[in-house]
Amino acid sequence: MTHTGRSCATRPEGRLTRRDLITAAAAGAAMAAAGRWAPPRTAYAAAATARDTLIVAPSYVIRSLDPGHTLEPLGEMICHAAYDSLVTLNGEDLSNPRPHLATAWTVAGGGRLYTFALRRDVRFASGNPLTSADVKWSFERVMNLKSNPAFFLDNVDALTAPDPYTVVLRLRDPQPSIIPILSNAALGIVDSKAAAAQGADAGPEAKDRDHAEGYLNTHSLGSGAFILESHTPNQEVVLVRNPGHWRGAPSIARVVIRNIPEASTQALGLERGDLDIATGLGLPNAQTLGRVPSVTIRNSQIAASFVMMVNTDSELSGSLANPKILQAIRYTLDYDGILKIAGPGATRMSGVIPNDLPGALDPREAVKTDRDRARALVRESGVASPRGRMNYASDQTSFGIQYPVLAQKIQADLAAVGITVDLNGLPGAVALGDYRAGRSPALFGGYVADYPDATDFLVYLPGRLVGKRLRWPATASPAAGELARWGDQAEQEADARARVALLRKIQRRLLEIGPYVPLFTPALPWGYRADLRGVTFNSVWGIDGFTVRRA
Amino acid sequence: MNLAVYIGRRLLLLPGMLVGITLLTFVISHAVPADPVAANLGDQAAANPETVAAFRHRWGLDRPVPQQYLIYVWRLVHGDMGMSISTHQPVATDLGQDLPATVELAFAAMLISVAVGIPLGIVAGVRRDTAVDQIARSSSLIGVSMPVFWLGLVALLVFYAWLGWAPSAGQLSPRLSRPPVVTGFVVVDALLAGESDVARDALSHLVLPALVLSSYSIGVITRMMRGSMLDVLGEDYVRTARAKGLPGLRVTLRHAARNALLPVITIVGLSFGGLLSGAVITETVFAWPGLGSYAFRSATSLDFPAIMGVGIVVASVYVFANLLVDIAYAVADPRIRMG
Repeated sequence: MTHTGRSCATRPEGRLTRRDLITAAAAGAAMAAAGRWAPPRTAYAAAATARDTLIVAPSYVIRSLDPGHTLEPLGEMICHAAYDSLVTLNGEDLSNPRPHLATAWTVAGGGRLYTFALRRDVRFASGNPLTSADVKWSFERVMNLKSNPAFFLDNVDALTAPDPYTVVLRLRDPQPSIIPILSNAALGIVDSKAAAAQGADAGPEAKDRDHAEGYLNTHSLGSGAFILESHTPNQEVVLVRNPGHWRGAPSIARVVIRNIPEASTQALGLERGDLDIATGLGLPNAQTLGRVPSVTIRNSQIAASFVMMVNTDSELSGSLANPKILQAIRYTLDYDGILKIAGPGATRMSGVIPNDLPGALDPREAVKTDRDRARALVRESGVASPRGRMNYASDQTSFGIQYPVLAQKIQADLAAVGITVDLNGLPGAVALGDYRAGRSPALFGGYVADYPDATDFLVYLPGRLVGKRLRWPATASPAAGELARWGDQAEQEADARARVALLRKIQRRLLEIGPYVPLFTPALPWGYRADLRGVTFNSVWGIDGFTVRRA
Repeated sequence: MNLAVYIGRRLLLLPGMLVGITLLTFVISHAVPADPVAANLGDQAAANPETVAAFRHRWGLDRPVPQQYLIYVWRLVHGDMGMSISTHQPVATDLGQDLPATVELAFAAMLISVAVGIPLGIVAGVRRDTAVDQIARSSSLIGVSMPVFWLGLVALLVFYAWLGWAPSAGQLSPRLSRPPVVTGFVVVDALLAGESDVARDALSHLVLPALVLSSYSIGVITRMMRGSMLDVLGEDYVRTARAKGLPGLRVTLRHAARNALLPVITIVGLSFGGLLSGAVITETVFAWPGLGSYAFRSATSLDFPAIMGVGIVVASVYVFANLLVDIAYAVADPRIRMG
């Protein structure tokens, strides 16, 4: 036997030496570095047959695809694709509702009577013509199912269909916001004949008699640009083009909506071209993908307000409910730092109405950080060591904002002026339950618009949805009562300019007497392949597949 | 004791065990200080007493808690696992959709674990303190230590994003349609439907998540097999076999490995049970629509019927896994008596 290299006597056969280990580790590191420093992969070609298919990965929560039951964002997106509503919005604009199935409308009866003229050339995907009877039936079903979207039509007293292309809504009280409310996909018009054949019921006992949800979760009965082909719960929804759609068939033939829960997995899929649109990327992934030429990253403002709230019951919130302490909190917070946590596109909010809705206060009016003033307010309060507890959802991330990070930031900011806040992290469902039961001592959260109108944010007023949960009734004080009355006026004010002026007045007063610290209007980081055109993200329904096309 | 009798006795215990599991799951899930209303109704809807009442009535939550449990058990006995509050479809249908995906993934992961872990453990035991042994021990340490979440993301980054060797996350490419459901196993259903391209695609999607999921089990099985081999190789009968002049490979495999396999069978069975009952992290990273993800979603949305359904399935899995382990023991070692 011939020897090469070292003698066997000095190198035991098969033994791993230190030199071998170091060499292997260095080689491994070099390979890893070479991979990392390789030029970023740019254009991954989509499969040849895939140009008319759109693959979307959203934040995937679907409770129902039945318009009478849906309210979650993805349910809205799918229902918006499959059903048409009377009114719509253009792209990402939330301020100007436009005719859709309704070509025009008139308002009479002191703002209580709305008469809609319907398009005459619309057919459902089934071939049945869309008439006023379907509109009446669809709305009555939503009202009588008493499910998630029923509150949209709480103020509707009666619905009539005097002829096949006219619908009349009679409201109990004037409510100009009924027009933007009607753009919601839950109020999309359902083929009443086909739905009734599947067990749907719109009568007063609909909540007990209606059995169509199972069918509507896997089949759509609308006139929208797309038809629901399949829905595998928690996995995938497939929409296919409606060739007979009254606006013309969409460019995209097939939309596949996939459940990809992990944000980094979405990001990789988008970069590689296996996904076309991803709306659950999260901030870090969006920032990384911003450097990839084949991907377009956007930060779309959401009609939501992030606000810190304090329970007015001092037995719960401790010294945080003290008016001077509350003022001190407003001057203490480092809003620039908070905006960094909120991510690109988020904007400082002066009041409680998001900046993208008419009626919002100018962000320049917002309180500036002034720690000296805050300390002075703490001294004026007479509270020696102000202390309180703040709940937050420890497992929640919304619009890329991690709640634990924001909670710690607020705690640290307040500690700088001697206000001690004990953080109480809870599972999301528990935190939400406590808040709704009025048991949260202090908290922060985002209220997302149910419909694109500033009056939706009057929930913060005393005696309204949020005010009640903070134990702040309209009878708390004469000032609270006055504020509540202003809110009623704003909801019924028909003149747009007067309404905006009143909403701004309300918010300024709210900041004087209310238990709120407005933080920011959030933005959603999301991305899409650069070869797509017409991609928008509407705060109400997300992506609109009808406008999307490939370059 | 006769094997058939033994199996029969174990199976007879199953219904009682499942009832116990349902009671335990029911009590724990109702002890959570949260309301399904909060998890399933929007803000405005939850503030409307009529809507809340309709929701509670629809899902039977307006009944006294003990009555809810009895109704559930009564329906369960008749094969009805109830309706899922989150998906609004029967829990049995949900499980029928999600369980096969987990079985597919777990089976593939276990196959890889056994195919890699046992031979590696044998070689490591035979070639103790050599380079192979060092590599095996280091690999198994890395396998059990590496967080699956991180490993999965790195695997996707390297093999999918950088090298392009693996396909995207999910069970199937989004541009392909699922085959008609027969068994619920996508690969099998695709083959049955004659869609070989879909079967190939499904198999290719299975590889990376199965490899990631198997990392922990490979580590455990390797270490167990190695330790067991070291014990057995020191036994007299092995020494005798060598002294008789039997070939080394025959001694290793027929005399040593076969006896060393016994404790490993237990580990394999328990690992398989663990894999089946919820590889939720792997399923999340790879968008694999399995039981783990379903269990997680059910828990966070306080979907009581779904939580109970998952509990029943997981309990059954462990019972059958343990039973199979015991049977495998009896087959591997005729000396073992049942009972």
